[in-house]
Amino acid sequence: MDIFDFYRKDQWPHVFCPGCGNGTVMNCFFRAFDKVGWKLDNTVFVSGIGCSSRIPLYINSDAIHTTHGRAIAFATGIKLSRPELDVVVFTGDGDLGAIGGNHFINGCRRNVDLDVICINNNIYGMTGGQASITTPHEYISTTTPRGNREYPFDLAEIAVAAGANYVARWTTRHVHELTKSIVASLNKKGFNFIEVVSQCPTNFGRRNKMADPSALLEWFKESSVRRDKARAAAVDHVDLNLAGQITTGEFVSRERECYHERTGGSSHGDGH
Amino acid sequence: MRPEINLKHCKACDICVYMCPNDCFSRGVDISDRGYFAAVVSAPEKCFNHGRTKKLICELCVLSCPDQAISWKDESTGDEGSGNEHQTG
Repeated sequence: MDIFDFYRKDQWPHVFCPGCGNGTVMNCFFRAFDKVGWKLDNTVFVSGIGCSSRIPLYINSDAIHTTHGRAIAFATGIKLSRPELDVVVFTGDGDLGAIGGNHFINGCRRNVDLDVICINNNIYGMTGGQASITTPHEYISTTTPRGNREYPFDLAEIAVAAGANYVARWTTRHVHELTKSIVASLNKKGFNFIEVVSQCPTNFGRRNKMADPSALLEWFKESSVRRDKARAAAVDHVDLNLAGQITTGEFVSRERECYHERTGGSSHGDGH
Repeated sequence: MRPEINLKHCKACDICVYMCPNDCFSRGVDISDRGYFAAVVSAPEKCFNHGRTKKLICELCVLSCPDQAISWKDESTGDEGSGNEHQTG
């Protein structure tokens, strides 16, 4: 397998900063994509606005770069009108959790057959490093120069509570586990959500004394706790706070009925 | 097989230097054409895949490289591995 079969060679090398985790996620995703045997001709990539939402621009496939936060809404429409297509959403923490939070929750609730990969870099990286909803407590950003007073969202737990079929969280330090998790999610029906905690050395690391990408990866390694162990260690933790931890692992894997199965599916797809 | 770094892609983030459990890579000292101090494969004989031709293991450097700059090169024949023959546009 040549990984560049999946990429638009005329757009390469990509514009991401040196050490950005988006490339790692692309790498893991396409290894999983190749393993599952999906075809680019039969797959649509949907993204919103943000650094991670630039990923579909580098993929040699049909893609739609939608309005801010509405990636899941557009992807739901594509899946309902053309159920034979596989739809993958690449999105970021600000896109999915902040402005598109309600679309995310209701996408999980409807259990539309989508694969959502959220690259959580803990900051609004593209716009200059403002605090996002996933910025860890006490960490510094341009809008929180004395440390973030708020506690972050736990996107994976929200997806579990809202009813997604498959939820997992990994970091860019766990590349093999992430690849296996993407394989499992592509093989499953329903709303599959994978949160990848990723490094942003330019805007997050630089302000938090972790300017080197490897320092951020070391931070992920040290603070990651597998979910089965984490439950025993701390019941009421909030992920990614200063003294806290990144709970990694497979959160849930269940077989709820998906939306287009309940609504008859093909009746929406007759128009093409 | 030995890892090889494509200097057209490498942005010198040094993630491979951190990720490799056997310290095959080291930080670059020479500036590349793109203006980065690209990492170098300083000790390819320490790699887990040294002497292997198929069923590669580990692959942490290849998987975690954000710029897809690392590929495998066969030591015995000198053939380029996958990913390296590609030309940037």
